Amino acid sequence: MISPVGSVLQDEAEDFDEPGAGASWLKYAGKKAGGALISLVMVIILGFFAFKILPGDPVATMAREHQMSAAQMAQLRAQYGLDKPLIVQFWNYLVNVFTGQFGESYVYHQSVSSLIGQYFWPTILLTGTSAVIAIALGLWLGQKAAWRHGSLFDKITSGTSLVFWSVPTFWLGLLLLLIFGGTLQWFPTGGMVSPGGDSTWFGTVMDVVSHLVLPVTTMVAVVYAQYVMVMRASLLEEMNADYLTTARAKGLREDLVRRKHAVPNALLPTVTLVFMHIGGLISGAVTVETVFSWPGLGKLTYEALSGPDLPLLQGTFVVFSAIIIIMNLIADLIYRQLDPRVRRA
Amino acid sequence: MPIGTLSQSRGLRRITALALAAAVSLGLAFGSTAVPAHAASEQATDSTTLRVATSGFVDSFNPFTSIYLLPTNLIRYMYEYLVQNSQTDGSPTKGLAASWTTKESGKQWVYKLQSGLKWSDGKAITAKDVQYTYEQMMNNAQLGTANGNLVTNFASVKAPDDNTVVINLKSPQASNPGIEIPVVPEHIWSKISKPADYKNEKNVVGSGPFLLQSYKANQSIVLKSNPNFWKGEPKIKKIQYIYYTNSDAEVQALKSGDVDLVSGLTPTQYNALKGVKGVTVHSGKGRRYMSLSINPGMQTSTGKRYGTGAAALQDKQVRQAIRLGINIPSLMKHVIDNQGTLATSFIPASFPEWHLSNKSKVLVKYDPDAAKAKLDQAGWKVGSDGYRYKDGAQLKIRLFANSDDPDEQAMAEYLKPWMKAIGINLDVQSSDSDTINDKVTKGDYDTYFTGWSVNPDPSYQLGINTCASLPDSDGTGGTSQDGYCNPDFDKLYNEQLTELNNTKRKATVQKMLELNYQDAVAVDFWYANSLEAYRSDRFTGFGLQPKKDGIIANQAGYWGFLSAKPVAGSSNSSNVSTGLWIGAGVIVLIILIGGGVFFARRRKSDEIE
Repeated sequence: MISPVGSVLQDEAEDFDEPGAGASWLKYAGKKAGGALISLVMVIILGFFAFKILPGDPVATMAREHQMSAAQMAQLRAQYGLDKPLIVQFWNYLVNVFTGQFGESYVYHQSVSSLIGQYFWPTILLTGTSAVIAIALGLWLGQKAAWRHGSLFDKITSGTSLVFWSVPTFWLGLLLLLIFGGTLQWFPTGGMVSPGGDSTWFGTVMDVVSHLVLPVTTMVAVVYAQYVMVMRASLLEEMNADYLTTARAKGLREDLVRRKHAVPNALLPTVTLVFMHIGGLISGAVTVETVFSWPGLGKLTYEALSGPDLPLLQGTFVVFSAIIIIMNLIADLIYRQLDPRVRRA
Repeated sequence: MPIGTLSQSRGLRRITALALAAAVSLGLAFGSTAVPAHAASEQATDSTTLRVATSGFVDSFNPFTSIYLLPTNLIRYMYEYLVQNSQTDGSPTKGLAASWTTKESGKQWVYKLQSGLKWSDGKAITAKDVQYTYEQMMNNAQLGTANGNLVTNFASVKAPDDNTVVINLKSPQASNPGIEIPVVPEHIWSKISKPADYKNEKNVVGSGPFLLQSYKANQSIVLKSNPNFWKGEPKIKKIQYIYYTNSDAEVQALKSGDVDLVSGLTPTQYNALKGVKGVTVHSGKGRRYMSLSINPGMQTSTGKRYGTGAAALQDKQVRQAIRLGINIPSLMKHVIDNQGTLATSFIPASFPEWHLSNKSKVLVKYDPDAAKAKLDQAGWKVGSDGYRYKDGAQLKIRLFANSDDPDEQAMAEYLKPWMKAIGINLDVQSSDSDTINDKVTKGDYDTYFTGWSVNPDPSYQLGINTCASLPDSDGTGGTSQDGYCNPDFDKLYNEQLTELNNTKRKATVQKMLELNYQDAVAVDFWYANSLEAYRSDRFTGFGLQPKKDGIIANQAGYWGFLSAKPVAGSSNSSNVSTGLWIGAGVIVLIILIGGGVFFARRRKSDEIE
C-alpha cells in the first residue's frame, strides 16, 4: 500500500503544478477519477488472470472430497465452463463483471454478487464500529500525547499502541477468545448471532453487540496505533507555530489553544489516512473474521481460497480493490477540499 | 461558569440529559424483561438440541449433486439407502430393503423392501421411489454428479410391485449395488422442474433419522428428528450445526458450552480438552489413511510416459528401500502422538473385512540395513559424501510437503535424515497444496504425502489403483491414486468384482493389497484416529462406527447421533444470557462515556462564551 504520508506529499506536489482558482477543482477531480477508473479496469483484468495463473484445479480439489469417476469430473468441468478456451472464459468473466453478477460460485451455487451482498453488511458493521472507535481513540490519545510529549502519559500511550500495532492480529484474537470466550465465558466464541435466534429486537441487538465485543476489540487494538502516531506527529509539527503563540497571547487557556487552534490544523493529514485505511480495514477484516467466525466478506474470501472457488475469489478481489480505490479517491478529493493551502483558492 | 440565565445551550443540555436518561432506563427495562424470557425459551428447547461445531462447505443438500463432505454426511441422515452400512463394521445391512438376493451370477439383484415404510410427510415409501431415484441418475448426467459412478454398471431398474426392486446390471457385480445412494421421494422430486439446480435446503421430506429444517449459509444448519423413521424417532429432537472458521475457536466454544460436539481435533487440542469439567474426549478409529506416494513413472492408459518423475523410482527395489528406511512407528509417535493405527495398505483398519491383515507375510518392518542392501542390489553405490550414485548421478529424490500442514512439515523433517542414512538425498520442497496437486497431476513429482477417506466397500478405492484409472492418451481423465498399473492386480480386481462368495472375494482383495504393498508405489503410514470431544454433561450414548473403537461424526452411516440422548436434568450451559448482559453493559457504558464527554465539551464551550 502507498504510504499515506507519501500520498499527501505527492498530492501537494501535483497541486502546485496546476493553475489556481476554484475552476480547476473539476479538472482535479476528473484527473483523480480517471486514475481511479484506470486502476479499476486493471484490477478487473488482473482479477481474471491472477487467479487463472494460480495452480490448482477446482474440480480435482472437489474430487478429493467425494469419490468420483473421470466422467463425473468432466461433467463438473463442463458445468463450470472450465473446458472452454481461456479467451472464451475471459469473455464470459467480463460479461459477468459488467452485468454485475461475477458468475456463479462453485461452492454455493449462487451468483457471486448476491453472496457478496449478503456478507457485505456484517463486514460493514464490524469494520465500521472498529473504525469509529479506533479513529476516535487514536486521535484523542495522539493529540493528548503530543501536547504533553515526553511525559509519562506520552510514553505509555505511544508504547502501548506500538506494542498492539506489532502484535499479530490472529494471535491477539485467539488470545482474547481463549481468555474471554473459553475460560471466563463472558462473550460468545464466534458468529454474529446466537443460534436459535431471539424473539425480541432488543435481545437481538444485545446478542449482536455481545458477539461484536471481542472482534472489535481485536481490530481496534491492532489499528488504533497508526492514528495515534500520525496525530501525534502532525500535532508536534504545529506546536511551535506562531499562531499558537498569538492564541496564548490572547489569554486563552492551554486546553483551548490545543482544541481550538492546534488540533484542527493537525487533523488535516489524518483525514487522508482515515479514508485510506477504511479500505484497508475492510480487507484487514479477513483475519479477524476468520478467528471469530464472523459471517462477513473476509470469512467468505478465506473459504473461497480453500475451495478454490474461482468466481467467488475474483468477485471478492474486485470488490475489495474497488473499495480501496474509491476510498483513496474520496481521500484525495476531501483533502483538497479541507485544506485551504492545498486548494489555493 | 458564565453568569447567565437559562441560555439556549443549557436548555439543549437538559433536554439531551433527559433523553439520555430515558434511553438508558428504557434500555435497562427492556433488558430486564427481555433477557430472562429469552433465556427461558432457550432452556426449554435446548436440552434435546445437540449443537455441533462445523467448518464444512455446503454446496447444496441435493442428494444428486452435492459433493462436499458435510452435506454428504448430512444427507446420510436425511435419506435412507436401499442398503445401509452397518454400525459394526460397515458391511451391508438392512436399509429400506429388508433382504436381497442375487440371480444370474450377480447380474441381477432383487430387493424386498420392509413393509410399512413411510416418508416424513406420511406417504408410503415404495419400490417406485427407488426406481425413480436410480433412473434419474442413469438418464440425466447432471443428476449423476454426486453418485453417478455407482450406477454406471446399471442396465435397468424395475419395480414389479410396491415392495420389490430389481436391478439388472450390465456385468455381474459382487458389491451390493444398493449402497450409498440416497433414495428420494418421487412425489416431491418429480414436481421439481430443474432437479439438478434444486438446493433442497429447507423442510426436507426424507426417510432417515433426521431431516433438514433450515439452513443459513456459514451460520447454521438445523436438522429435526423424523418421527416416521423406521427404527423409531431419535431421542435428540434437533441437531444444530454452528459455523466456526477455525478449530481453536471450536475448542473454546466446547469449553464455554456454546457447542456440544467438536470433531477433527489436533492431538494438542485433544490433550488440552482432557480433564475439562463436563467434557469427554474420544479418540476413534478413523477411515482415512496417510501415506507417502512414490512416483513409479507416470504413464497414460496407452503406455506413454509423462512427467518428470525420478528414473530411479521406476525400480521397485528403490521404492521398497524407501519403505524399509522409514521408521513408521516412531513417525506416528512424534507426528500424531500415537493417535492412530499403523497402516498395512490403503484400506483402513476400521473396515476389518477388507483391511490387509497385520499377519500378512509380505509386511516388512523398519530395517535400514535391508534398505541399504536393496539399494546396493539395484546398483546404487555409496559415494564419498555418503549419498548413493549410479553412472555418476546422485540418488536424489524430491519430496513435496504442504507448507500449511504442520504434520507434513514434521514428517519431512524426520524423513530427511532417515533417507540420508540409507544414502538417499531427500530434497524437501514445501509448497501450497494447490501447487502440489497441480504438479502431481502433471506427473512432475517424485514423492508427496497423500491420503483418502475410504468407504466401507473397497471397490472404488481398488478401482483407482487399476490401469484403467490412468489418464487417457491426451493426459486427461485420470483418477489414479498413485499412478499404479499392474496387470496382475487388474486381473484380481476383475475377479473380485464378480465374486459373489464373500469369503473368496476377501481372499482376492487380500492378494491385491499384498501385491500393491510389494510394488511399493506408496508407503502407507497410518490410519489417524478421529479425535472428537463432546459435552458429556449434556449428551450421552453416541453410537460409534465401527461399534468397537469407532468414531461419532463423519461416519459412513447415521449411527452417531441416532442413539445419542440428553443427560437427565441437564440444561443449556450456554453463556447467551451472560453475553446479553455484557452487551447491554457495553452499550450503557458507551452512552455514559459519550454523554460525559458531551457534557464536558458543552461546559467548556460555555466558558468560551
